[in-house]
Amino acid sequence: MGSMTTNESVIDKYLHRCIRCGNCKFVFRDYVPSCPSGEFFGFETYYASGRIRLAQALERGELDWDSSLLAPVFACTVCSNCEEQCLSPHANGIVDIIEELRRKAVNKLGPLPAHQTFANNILRTTNPYAEKPNHQNLREKHGLPKSAENVYFVGCTANYREEAIRDATISLLKKAGVDFTIVDERCCGSPLIRTGQVDQAEALAISNKELFESAGASRILTSCAGCYRTLASEYPAIDGNDDYEVLHISQFLGSLIDSGMLVIEQPPFAEVITYHDPCHLGRHMGIYEEPRQVISSAGVDIIEMESNRHNAWCCGSGGGVKSAFKDMALETARKRVQHAQSVSADILLSACPFCKLNLSDAANGEDIEVLDMVELLDRITN
Amino acid sequence: MNIVSELVELLGAHSVSSDPAERYIYSYDMTENKARKPLAVVMPSTTDQVRKIVELANQQKIPLVPFITGQNVGGLTIPEVDNSVIVDLKKMKRIIEVDEEAMYTLVEPGVTFGHLRRHLEINHPNLRYTYPLAPPFTSIMANVLLQGLCDLSTKHGAMGDFINGLEVVLPTGELVRVGSGVSGTKNWFSRYPLPDLVGLFSGWQGMTGIVTKIAVKLWPKPPITRYAALFTFGEIETTELLKELTRTGVLDDADCMSLSLVKMLLGVEYPVDVFDGEPDYATLLAFSGNSEIDVSDKIGTARNIVDKHTERESRHLFVSWDTIEKLVGSQAREWVDFPSDAFKILAEFDGLTWVGTYIHPRNWGAGLLKGREIVARHGFELMAFLKPMDGMHYGEFKFIIRFSKETETMKRVRSCNEALLELALSLGAIPYKTPVWAAEKLHSHIDPEFVKLVRRIKETLDPNNIMNPGRWAL
Repeated sequence: MGSMTTNESVIDKYLHRCIRCGNCKFVFRDYVPSCPSGEFFGFETYYASGRIRLAQALERGELDWDSSLLAPVFACTVCSNCEEQCLSPHANGIVDIIEELRRKAVNKLGPLPAHQTFANNILRTTNPYAEKPNHQNLREKHGLPKSAENVYFVGCTANYREEAIRDATISLLKKAGVDFTIVDERCCGSPLIRTGQVDQAEALAISNKELFESAGASRILTSCAGCYRTLASEYPAIDGNDDYEVLHISQFLGSLIDSGMLVIEQPPFAEVITYHDPCHLGRHMGIYEEPRQVISSAGVDIIEMESNRHNAWCCGSGGGVKSAFKDMALETARKRVQHAQSVSADILLSACPFCKLNLSDAANGEDIEVLDMVELLDRITN
Repeated sequence: MNIVSELVELLGAHSVSSDPAERYIYSYDMTENKARKPLAVVMPSTTDQVRKIVELANQQKIPLVPFITGQNVGGLTIPEVDNSVIVDLKKMKRIIEVDEEAMYTLVEPGVTFGHLRRHLEINHPNLRYTYPLAPPFTSIMANVLLQGLCDLSTKHGAMGDFINGLEVVLPTGELVRVGSGVSGTKNWFSRYPLPDLVGLFSGWQGMTGIVTKIAVKLWPKPPITRYAALFTFGEIETTELLKELTRTGVLDDADCMSLSLVKMLLGVEYPVDVFDGEPDYATLLAFSGNSEIDVSDKIGTARNIVDKHTERESRHLFVSWDTIEKLVGSQAREWVDFPSDAFKILAEFDGLTWVGTYIHPRNWGAGLLKGREIVARHGFELMAFLKPMDGMHYGEFKFIIRFSKETETMKRVRSCNEALLELALSLGAIPYKTPVWAAEKLHSHIDPEFVKLVRRIKETLDPNNIMNPGRWAL
């Protein structure tokens, strides 16, 4: 059995990189801010270059572990925009450096209280929200089989906080006649991995992989960008032996529309619609076009915000920020809502329940609707 | 109440930190200069907050060190004394005014070259500012006040010459203006005809106050701009050719560098070696004009001068930029479009340093030749930069070293820079962005009455010596 992390220290690998040129702070040729954390806190410590140097200093013994380090170490959505903008040799290692730094912080000082809370919740209830698992109820309610070709991995946020995304996804799959089921899934582990609590995440991954196997699935579908990244890029590291394909729902819906399994019924929208790239789906997994193609094939024109695709401004909720740094999360999302408003959008679409949750909080009281792409698609298909 | 609590009372807790993380991160820069932790870091958002910080510091005799966007060199933002407070000005980032008629902009400290470029492209497309070989998000104010150079320096001189006026919080807390802005707002057209008090703040490395606004010149964007590349051999031959080219007045800019730097831009990995027979220098020449004929004439003038010099060194080569683009692809356009992009080749490790100087044209070639030997002797890559300055009234040269901040390498870097500085000083060159160790050496080479005058001015403006004490070896 392998591990979700390698034994090689990425901090050690890049121990003498980064002159703090500042390229990570702004979108390189567009000169708009790229770093939610740096923009919110302002001190150099809160930019990628600051965190890299903290990691190096702790490694070299120039700085001692101290609880005051926890804020700069954890107040980052690990959105990876810094990696997009950095032109130095360590560019692709920045998020890995931050996540290794977080694992070390947890080892030395323990997790942040908010992160400890959701970790405890996962231990008790298998989800970070401490909700009673409902997968059996969902199978019964929707008449789903115990085993099927496809498993819909709902994800905790869609299942317990943004249920409309779960329901729309199930509705779309049923409309298209897809053979699928829902297993008694555990949290995918993403919130734990991003917050330095990787040991607990590995146990969850093993359980989930066993559930996928028991269901006889050859494909795992998920409507959550964070779950998708974890299932597709981190689970294989456990044993390198995944007999199933992992797809984000945006990668799957196009084929349903193209093949006529999903039929668009409504005329094109009159509303102005824009699309926010979730960091887990976009920068981390390189999926920018599939959601746009699905939305476009449904006859919806997307008006792009100024920062989009690999330069997209983060929604502010990832990396444990939503739970531990609420003001930063909300302020970051407010900026994204403003980006949408600046193109006169009536609807801000995304493809991630966590993005929807945070953007909705920020859009509260604003004249803009925040939706997931599956919700939009469910409205216009039969 | 201690100073940190008082600063928190003034600015709020979110804008003040004395935590170990901030004290560490603000204690060093990219160069080999020794780190020192500040007592605290404060981040004002307004001029009024700056004034209150300075008043408090002056009352309590707390040293202040200005800091802006973080790409610092020469130890210039590293406190020279204990218990200093770093004043991080990056939140003050308004482009307050662009005057199209008088062609200037008034900006706050946190405005960077990249942001001004974007602002002008969108709102004032007929105007341009200038750009240095620095990261794109470098503070304009910092570079200008440190009298650095840019891609218009061949024609117009150091960036300090571009200042029309300043707004400054004096060390004693008064807010003053210098330049034509003294006669009202929206009037920053020149620093003359007045006592030129810009000189009390330009080149002082933050020792005489905190500048909160700077008015700098802009230029019309020429309708036609063309580029050419010049490959040359030999230090003396290269500088003689550049002198003659520059004196014709046909160049907007000449950016000359060791060929190693071009190889780095093309992706050759560290360490980049020099091969026998390759050109020593590559120079980017910029020409502009109001018509194609105008620009073609200028390029023709330059080409004729190069042809003349090939009688002495037949290997010199003048190449049109079209040819360069055909050879290396679209990246050639990016290099000239925004010189800051090329800075990426210098961001290889965690260390970067140089000894940069302005020098009499007669000593320019000798400085390069001997400097090259020093760099080779210390085992570093050959990374010389040189630029004809201000219509060839003087020259600039520096040897850049990119290095890993390991103990032994740092020792070698210090030794190399000291030798380069000794050489420069022996040739009458003046170092810019001068670290304290270099300023100490400079003092022993220059008129002591000048140093005394500098001290007297500093003492007059800053009786409690709170602004960046110890800087420039004062």
